[in-house]
Amino acid sequence: MIPRRFVNWLLLWTPVVWLVLTLCTYPKNRPLIIDPQIYPPGEAPSASFSSLIGGFFAPTVANYPAWILVLAAVCVVALGAVGLVRRRKAVTMNVMLLVMGAVFAVWGLDAGGGLGGWQAGGRLGEHGWAFQTAVVVLAALCIYFWARANPERAALTTWNTHQIWRLYRANWQGMLGLYIMVFFGLLALLAPFLADHMMLDPNSQVGTTYAPPTSSYYMWLGTDQVGQSVLAEFIWSARISLVVGLLATAISTLLGAGIGIAAGFYGGWQSEVWMRLTDAFLVIPWLPLAMVLAAAWGQNFWMIILIIGITSWPGTARVVRSDTLRVRELQFIERARAIGSSNGHIMTKHVLPNVFPLIFANTVLVVAIAILSETTLSFLGLGDPLNFSWGTMLHYAWANGAAGLPAWWYLLPPGIAIVLVVLAFTFIGTAFDEVLDPKLRKREESDDRAKKRGGKSPEVAVAAAGGAVTAAGLGAGPAAGPETDKGGDR
Amino acid sequence: MDKRRYFLKKIANAVLTIVLVASFNFALFRILPGDPARLLLPKGKQPPEAVEKQRKAFNLDKPLWQQFIYYWGDTLQGEFGTSFSEKRPVSEVVAERIWPTVLLVGVGTIFATLIGMISGVFAGWRRNGTFDVVTTNLGMVFYSMPTFWFGLLMIMLFATELQWFPTGRMEEPGADLQGWDQIVSLVKHLFLPAFTFAISYVGEYHIIMRSSITGVMTEDFTLTARAKGLSDNKVLWKHVMPNALLPTVTIVMMNIGFVMSGAILSETVFNWPGLGLLAYESMEKRDYPVMQAVFLIASIAVILANLIADIMYYYLDPRVES
Repeated sequence: MIPRRFVNWLLLWTPVVWLVLTLCTYPKNRPLIIDPQIYPPGEAPSASFSSLIGGFFAPTVANYPAWILVLAAVCVVALGAVGLVRRRKAVTMNVMLLVMGAVFAVWGLDAGGGLGGWQAGGRLGEHGWAFQTAVVVLAALCIYFWARANPERAALTTWNTHQIWRLYRANWQGMLGLYIMVFFGLLALLAPFLADHMMLDPNSQVGTTYAPPTSSYYMWLGTDQVGQSVLAEFIWSARISLVVGLLATAISTLLGAGIGIAAGFYGGWQSEVWMRLTDAFLVIPWLPLAMVLAAAWGQNFWMIILIIGITSWPGTARVVRSDTLRVRELQFIERARAIGSSNGHIMTKHVLPNVFPLIFANTVLVVAIAILSETTLSFLGLGDPLNFSWGTMLHYAWANGAAGLPAWWYLLPPGIAIVLVVLAFTFIGTAFDEVLDPKLRKREESDDRAKKRGGKSPEVAVAAAGGAVTAAGLGAGPAAGPETDKGGDR
Repeated sequence: MDKRRYFLKKIANAVLTIVLVASFNFALFRILPGDPARLLLPKGKQPPEAVEKQRKAFNLDKPLWQQFIYYWGDTLQGEFGTSFSEKRPVSEVVAERIWPTVLLVGVGTIFATLIGMISGVFAGWRRNGTFDVVTTNLGMVFYSMPTFWFGLLMIMLFATELQWFPTGRMEEPGADLQGWDQIVSLVKHLFLPAFTFAISYVGEYHIIMRSSITGVMTEDFTLTARAKGLSDNKVLWKHVMPNALLPTVTIVMMNIGFVMSGAILSETVFNWPGLGLLAYESMEKRDYPVMQAVFLIASIAVILANLIADIMYYYLDPRVES
């Protein structure tokens, strides 16, 4: 029997995921408020309801490079085929996966225009939105049929998630971080509605140079050194800053967790080699390294992500390694070995799930660091010159003497946004740390009990081991050890 | 572990890491796309003879393993080539930038350590009190703040609006001050960059000091000290503080190694003529010989700071001996 709650979540999150994916690729020229002055006569778009709805079916929606789609098709088909061959359970799910692979393949052909264009973009397939909807629905069905085949695991997952969420909700800092994140996430996703992308065109002025804010919508935050709307730049920057942060974190976590688990699980010289590598990377100051790499490899969106990704993994690797060392000594690993499990099996099925909470909490903290790194690189003029990010805005403000005027409307918004986003991710990461770590959780509960008894809550030791654990109560803030520390490599 | 072995092990480790990092530096500037000889020359069209000359000068015509040996020979002699934006030896360019950075970083670190540690001690001593809640949340904000943005705010507030301090540089251009005036001018120019630099570390030191104080306060010996009837002051400064200092000192020492990275932002914003600004300028001009030298110095600073931290730890924490 699938828990009711599981189905409810599925029904809630499927449309949300679909909406997020669609909004990410929504056409950029459907703002709610249009400034006709920046368009040539007679070419200003309309902000009608049908135009907004029409945006969901526009050719730019779900227009991904063909190679990504083909890669996805291959992965999904492989997953389904392996599942069909090796397991009796969840046959329907595996069939669904095969269907999904087929949809991906057709989508890839459509996006690439036959077998020709593998490169980015391909031709603008008209049917991206339909394929995307189909894939999201199929994915939801896959999860549903997986739960049908494994009801007891679905029940366990539901219960666990619910407990974690219950604990998380009680953490006011975590919730505050979540609210801030939702705000900036919505700002980034709804950018096409909130600000006209035409405003970022170098030829579109809304006022004079460094005009202070007025009540007109695009002048809410005044203008920059060429008379462009700071508000429009600010809203569109949110996208780049967040996306770069998230993607760089993905690279950093994959590298860090992989190397960390390998270094912790295999003893002997392999571990030694990985740890030497990690140590060497830890002592290389990341900013000079990133500057050298960015200067040499060129500055574009993907390079920045790659550079931040490969300069920020050692912290994760250290933390994951020390936790893997702990897990490796647990009894059930020995049992799994005794019944003849392979190393790969033990690592993915036993070690990874046990280390996962730590990786997860650490990942959220790395996002904060990655966003700060992106801002720093962009500020030094190493950002992607084609897109605005909050760091790029500050670079232009600095390079054009906004501080000397002083043009506070240009300097304050991006900086405050960065502080809030970084704080939010730090709060969320710390909250997850506390929620997911059983040691800290137990302490919190005993704290609560002590309070209920009317006694003074016992001051409890702060376990600083591993660096990822922080004080409960007020929340001492981000990781307080040299390993996970941002301060260590700033 | 006895003293000799402990030190020898740490020093060997540091030397090994320096060798690794220097080799990485060698590799880094050779895996860059393009001809290394071409990279080591200014941008724009260069006659083929000049490229050939450069290739000879840096032994780039030899096989890779010989280049590696020559690289080591040059590096050990402090020979990094010629900066092509200034047409002078790199070692000379770098040498004159060291003192401003040391000044800025030294003053900034002293500020940061004092403010952060003292506020951390009081916050940890009265955990969840008003002072703790205010300072710790403020510390979090400082911690998440981009250094350069804070620097820009400082310029906006104190240099542009109030005009208390100059907006940058180490001295007024053209001014020829002597004696007392010179010192006043230097302090005025130093204040904002050093303060900005300090603020970027204050939050971190505060948070570390606070959590290590709360940690030590739960230890049995603190309870014993209280039970003996010692005054709060005595418990805090004689029993809790010395133990709580350990992790903070380590972090401070390790951060001193990373000062180059911190100095880059503060110096760039305030035009302070130190190594950080040199790193930024050489990056802007694609002055690879200078970049290479700065990168190496920055890495070695970290390794040496780590080594000093390890050695200090030996004297501060008697438990290491066992």
